Amino acid sequence: MTSIRALAAGACAAALASLCGFVAPGAAQTYPTRGITMIVPFAAGGPTDVISRIVTAHMAQTFGQSIVIENVVGAGGTTATARAARAANDGYTLITGHMGTHAASVPLYPKLAYHPEKDFEPIALLAGTPILILARKDFPPKDLKEFVTYVKTNAEKVNAAHAGVGSVSHVSCELLHSILDIKPVGVPFNGTGPAMNALVGGQVDYICDQIVNAVPQINAGTIKAYAIATAERNPSLPNVPTTAEAGLPAFQAQAWNAMFAPKGTSPAIVASLNAAAVKALDDETVRKRLLELGSVIPPPADRTPEALAKLVKNEIAKWTPVLKPAS
Amino acid sequence: MFDLFHNLGLGFGVVFQISWWSPWWLYGLSLPISINILMCLIGALVGTLVGVLPGIGTVATVAMLLPITFGLPPVGALIMLAGIYYGAQYGGSTTSILVNIPGEATSVVTAIDGHQMAKQGRAGPALAIAAIGSFFAGCVATVLIAVLGAPLTKLALAFGPAEYFSLMVLGLIFAVVLAKGSVLKAIAMIVFGLLLSMVGSDIETGASRMAFNIPELADGLGFATVAMGVFGFAEIIRNLDAGAEMNRDLVQQKITGLMPTRKDLIDSAPAILRGTVLGSILGILPGGGAVIASFASYTLEKKIAKNPSRFGRGAIEGVAAPESANNAAAQTSFIPLLTLGIPPNAVMALMVGAMTIHGIVPGPQVMQKQPELVWGMIASMWIGNLMLIIINLPLVGIWVRLLRVPYRLMFPSIVIFCAIGIYSVNNAPVDVILAGVFGLVGYWLIKHDFEPAPLLLGMVLGPLMEENLRRALLISRGDWSVFLTRPLSAVLLAIAAFLLVLTVLPALRAKRDEVFTESEN
Amino acid sequence: MADTMGHSATTTRNTSVVIGFCLLAVAPQIFEFIWSIGTIFGWGAGRGPATVVISHATALLAGAPGALIGAIGGDTKKASSEVLLALIYSYPLFAVAILTIFMTIRSAQDYVGGIALMALALFALWASSDLQGMRGFSFGAGTAPRMFGGLLVALGAGIALTGLLTDGPAMAHYAWRGPLFVMVSIVFFALAIRPLGVVVTAFASFLIAAMGTHETRWVEAIIVGACLTLGCALLFPYVLGLPMPMFPRFLVQ
Repeated sequence: MTSIRALAAGACAAALASLCGFVAPGAAQTYPTRGITMIVPFAAGGPTDVISRIVTAHMAQTFGQSIVIENVVGAGGTTATARAARAANDGYTLITGHMGTHAASVPLYPKLAYHPEKDFEPIALLAGTPILILARKDFPPKDLKEFVTYVKTNAEKVNAAHAGVGSVSHVSCELLHSILDIKPVGVPFNGTGPAMNALVGGQVDYICDQIVNAVPQINAGTIKAYAIATAERNPSLPNVPTTAEAGLPAFQAQAWNAMFAPKGTSPAIVASLNAAAVKALDDETVRKRLLELGSVIPPPADRTPEALAKLVKNEIAKWTPVLKPAS
Repeated sequence: MFDLFHNLGLGFGVVFQISWWSPWWLYGLSLPISINILMCLIGALVGTLVGVLPGIGTVATVAMLLPITFGLPPVGALIMLAGIYYGAQYGGSTTSILVNIPGEATSVVTAIDGHQMAKQGRAGPALAIAAIGSFFAGCVATVLIAVLGAPLTKLALAFGPAEYFSLMVLGLIFAVVLAKGSVLKAIAMIVFGLLLSMVGSDIETGASRMAFNIPELADGLGFATVAMGVFGFAEIIRNLDAGAEMNRDLVQQKITGLMPTRKDLIDSAPAILRGTVLGSILGILPGGGAVIASFASYTLEKKIAKNPSRFGRGAIEGVAAPESANNAAAQTSFIPLLTLGIPPNAVMALMVGAMTIHGIVPGPQVMQKQPELVWGMIASMWIGNLMLIIINLPLVGIWVRLLRVPYRLMFPSIVIFCAIGIYSVNNAPVDVILAGVFGLVGYWLIKHDFEPAPLLLGMVLGPLMEENLRRALLISRGDWSVFLTRPLSAVLLAIAAFLLVLTVLPALRAKRDEVFTESEN
Repeated sequence: MADTMGHSATTTRNTSVVIGFCLLAVAPQIFEFIWSIGTIFGWGAGRGPATVVISHATALLAGAPGALIGAIGGDTKKASSEVLLALIYSYPLFAVAILTIFMTIRSAQDYVGGIALMALALFALWASSDLQGMRGFSFGAGTAPRMFGGLLVALGAGIALTGLLTDGPAMAHYAWRGPLFVMVSIVFFALAIRPLGVVVTAFASFLIAAMGTHETRWVEAIIVGACLTLGCALLFPYVLGLPMPMFPRFLVQ
């Protein structure tokens, strides 16, 4: 019963801590004085959740306060993001946003209940997950060049899979298609698992997906990878060329995850959260675990709130023309 | 064969791995404990609890407990999560039988005959046979995973959208067959369920369908919400009707033996066997396999029974077969995860998440690269099943005693448990109100002699059917003949058509006779 | 919505059934009106009650017949959602109600059940009328809902027909006390769980639900309710780790 008891003890401790906060509100204090809630807009166990957990575990040590992850799923993560936008801006409710919730959602959902730029204070970029162009193992083209010619000539015949409207695989494939200027049939699946199953089973031809799910399948030879859409090759897949090397430099896409606070959170709090996040990203074990996932850790210059604000702005500008005609 | 024993030996070795535990209060003394067995036990206990509590789903619980497992060794963590998953299958039958509230889609069928048995004072035998059937099925399926896991994987991969669509059609036909009353009404309920399943966002375009701009409806109606409503709340409301006290008191006086009689065992043995076979095969199919398995095995029993009219009125085979099938399916659904690294359902997806956090990304090579993990899990399943039957058989007495609690105290308790359960799924108060509304709908359905089980099946299978139909047509570019030209799909559709004819013909004949006799008067 | 028809119907006179159908035919409009009353107090962001009444009344009385005539005349102007509601949902049900006057209902249970299912299906057809249909060979968002909505209309009609052709049970008796208090208890739970927490909400809901039967003995109910609340407060947040507030918000902060 150890785990259950540990949980109970943790909960009691948290309750006690909050009680103490209640008893002595006037005492001199520095942020944070109680546990922080981090909303993750996707199910536990997904890439965003895993990255959030790895980073916040280290941040919790830095702060000496617990950071509780709350997974809120629904509507491609926009339900959770809307909730975070309306939360109290005291620095105790944060959200791990990603490319979908804080950029692609703008053109995808015309009635979006928040605006990524206006309703949030950016804190820090946490990690990027590279996107790969993957195909079933007996798909004729041998490399990316052949792939481009093949899908262009057979645009009527090929089937692109994706994990549902608004998913990373959907929006990144839309980007690829807009670069190639084709409109192949997109076959929607309910999540990455079923889509990958269909690709392994040869029911569909290709997919653009995040590296996490794909590495073991590529290594086992059940599917093949044409290129990785980042500037550099990834250590977990050293044999897969970048899109630039393989002849399609225009296709650059990354599923990034970043930390945001509701609008109006005080700059001091944002600065202290940013410092803790940067410290986590410099930690050896955190780095190791993120790299194991195939993630790309942002260089120091990209970790500031200003850099994140710019990234969000650029990403919205990048996805809007690609996704507008689709919806 | 030698490999198999070697592997199983490795698995059991992992499960029984002893570590020495020396807490400070033993002053230097060390106790031998097996962490993995402990994890297995915790998983089985939590799973049973989750299954028994109405509303709390396995997915929600595994998601909530996932963070705790991050601190555990990966094998122990996965053994615990797996224990929760199949433990919930054991527990799920309990509320179905006792209070007619299926906690999971797979135990909807169990409620049909199981609750009737409880009303006849035979809750004990029903619960016991469910546990025995589940245990047998669990053991067989575990061996099956060990022996045939890798070849069976091909079946999962051979199923494309066209095959899934045909399978779903077959599943809906099962729902017609299992109805005890009018076939027309059963079909109407299925279609009603299909319509309900379409609330929410469209898979292909993301357009919001029939959601009336209610954010909680954006992702559709939850299974727990509708099931708690049309089964749980509706049953309660009906029991509160004037004149219902008499029946309830009768139930409480009638309670007879706790354990199944020799006749019960003889009657249900073949049903358990057939349920296990069907469940094992259908469980491998990702998405909906386990649900269809329980319905299919019930339908099979009803069709081959000498006296099908007993079904729906407390036939013990109607409990034994689906319970064996759903537990067998729960075990074999691990096959795609263990051999391909592809999670076949939401709970497994969470397990993949747990592995990812531990730095193991499961893939086709997981069996070669992580043999301790895979075989340890397989071995733990057998031990877990053993634990579950040891936990569950003595519990039967306690559960049956619960039925003696006066209804005036029981029903508010059920209302509270259901409400908390539904709330906990998404932390959404609107879900609770929706379940209440579905309670009124269910009450109305009972009053008009509509059965809720086909409705729920339509709701569960609806999205799978529509999505796969659309996928199949997208891939075939609108050519409907794929459903007949692909052999597996054609066979499934043929079985479906055959079953439908078998069911509708006698019903039509009976109706016609009725009409004729009426008009003669 | 079906509860409006809780009267027994005789095989010869169906006045109450007819009135029930007429009420059912305007049930969505009435529901929106009741909902819109809330906007007076500043709840929600819908239209005010006056606007709702006027728009539905014009749609029912003038807009829909106009659109109907227009459609016959080949005019394909897009109708507003109120007009569509009147056309797709209310008019067919009024027609059914009028037909019912001349019918001999042999099984009210089947007849009313079938018509109510038909009403549900018509409502679904209206709700999915704004969705896209077939796009070439691929299904649109609205294709499947309309397909199954149409099917359910047919099935509902079929069930209603059996209610006319074969003898069967009359309308069952509805109780009011059980449904009312169980529903109040559920709604109270939903509204109170966030602000008041598990402890207060579970206990109060338990007692409200207990009012649903005259058998309740209060001392006993209060004791059991308190024990149950304690059990839930320990079980759900601690053993199962489900995050939910324990105590009223104003006490904690």
